[in-house]
Amino acid sequence: MGKIFDPTFMIHSFPEVLQALPTTLFIAFVSGVIGLVIAFIISFIRYANIRVLSPIARAYISFIRGTPDLVQIMLVYYGIPLLLKALNEKFGTSFDVNGVPSIAFAIIALAINAGAYMSETMRSSLLAVDPGQLEACYSVNMTRFQALRKVIIPQAIGIAIPPLSNTLISLIKETSLVFTISIVDIMAQAKIVGSRSFRFFEVYIVVSVIYWVVCAIVAFALSRVEIYARRYERKTNS
Amino acid sequence: MIQLENIYKSYKNNRVLSNINLTVNKGEVVTLIGPSGAGKTTLLRLLNWLEVPDSGKISIGSATIDASKYTKQEIRRLRSQSSMVFQHYNLFKNRTVIENVADSLIVVSKMKKKDADEKAEDLLRKVGMADKLQDYPANLSGGQRQRVGIARALAVDPKVMLFDEPTSALDPEWVGEILHLIKKIAAEGMTMILVSHEMRFVRSVATRIIFLENGELVEDSNPKDLFENSRNVRTQAFLHKLTYEEE
Ligand SMILES: Nc1ncnc2c1ncn2[C@@H]1O[C@H](COP(=O)(O)OP(=O)(O)OP(=O)(O)O)[C@@H](O)[C@H]1O
Ligand SMILES: [Mg+2]
Repeated sequence: MGKIFDPTFMIHSFPEVLQALPTTLFIAFVSGVIGLVIAFIISFIRYANIRVLSPIARAYISFIRGTPDLVQIMLVYYGIPLLLKALNEKFGTSFDVNGVPSIAFAIIALAINAGAYMSETMRSSLLAVDPGQLEACYSVNMTRFQALRKVIIPQAIGIAIPPLSNTLISLIKETSLVFTISIVDIMAQAKIVGSRSFRFFEVYIVVSVIYWVVCAIVAFALSRVEIYARRYERKTNS
Repeated sequence: MIQLENIYKSYKNNRVLSNINLTVNKGEVVTLIGPSGAGKTTLLRLLNWLEVPDSGKISIGSATIDASKYTKQEIRRLRSQSSMVFQHYNLFKNRTVIENVADSLIVVSKMKKKDADEKAEDLLRKVGMADKLQDYPANLSGGQRQRVGIARALAVDPKVMLFDEPTSALDPEWVGEILHLIKKIAAEGMTMILVSHEMRFVRSVATRIIFLENGELVEDSNPKDLFENSRNVRTQAFLHKLTYEEE
């Protein structure tokens, strides 16, 4: 046997693991965007307390919070094909049950997951805006929709960014679960490289460094966005 | 101009306004005075439909609304007749000074941005804020914020302006200039309903004073009579307590 720890191997395996980075980034980005859309809709349903839909939204959030991410991925992975099959039988449609790429399941599962968490963030951010702001909008005869667009949502965004940023970073890390449905992301790629040489520790260091760098860049970018979104707040000399 | 008929309002089981009937004519400056919890703020907010009465009828200018049955359009028509200056300013925090004033012109009145900005700038010049157009509210003093609040309320060309203790959140150094500004607007003929604890100001600006207690209109009179010859024991007690506190 060679060395206990092989730094050269580690460095050389970087490029190979990195080959799968686009897959990881693609899954994280697309499910993040879809998750934001879901969150926006759900938070609005809850904020406006729309009948029938609001309790459904609550149940959805509670379910997502109360079940492991991995289980959710499995439910989507095995559940959606069954659903398509049932639709085919019932309505005579012809969805190709086996033709759905695994990556679509991963994106759906992660988007549904992140959407639930982010909707709670958005709702509480909307509620955190001073009620006097809405009253002031009404006093100059804006409609509720106009008030939301001009005043309430922009302020809520400033409040929401730090917690949203946390969820988006968790989402990037959760993409490491998708190897379980045979997607080759950086995690799966690391396993492949590691099992070829039995140097798992080295390749896991490689993936952890990659996740760390990606998450740090995203965190930094979002902190910049936050500064922009809150530019109207008092400038302190610090 | 303004007419309230049989207005009732409660929160849960707490009756806050009972059977309020009130008529205000164009150009009047009506001041509401009364002890804390009397219902002054509530009465003012009803006029702007920020609070919904349990029953009764409100008319301002051409708009009428009945609490027992009303539509969204009626609410908007009523609100278009008045505007509110808030105790805590409630400026749009994410909007600059000029946007605070121009937004309603653009969004509600559908004015062109250029015209709206022009009108907003004129109003801000009038209230002495023309040199801060691009500042955000967070970077203004209390007095400056309230000037913007007044300009924003003027921008909608209200038939009546509502002021809820417009100076009570201000440091003493700014109170005088805001009162001066309100007086200037009153002198131009604006109809006003004003809640204030500044009795000297109330005396000098009001054409009419209403004493409110426990949700009822106790006395409705001109300033001189109310302050000097009120025969109502409750008014007397209130004024007596007030002068006692001021000394
Ligand atoms: N949103 C609310 N929910 C429940 N009770 C309320 C609410 N707003 C006001 N009240 C109650 O209604 C009563 C009248 O309040 P209001 O604010 O109109 O008094 P006010 O005359 O303006 O007093 P102040 O001089 O202290 O401002 C008070 O007893 C108050 O506790
Ligand atoms: Mg009050």
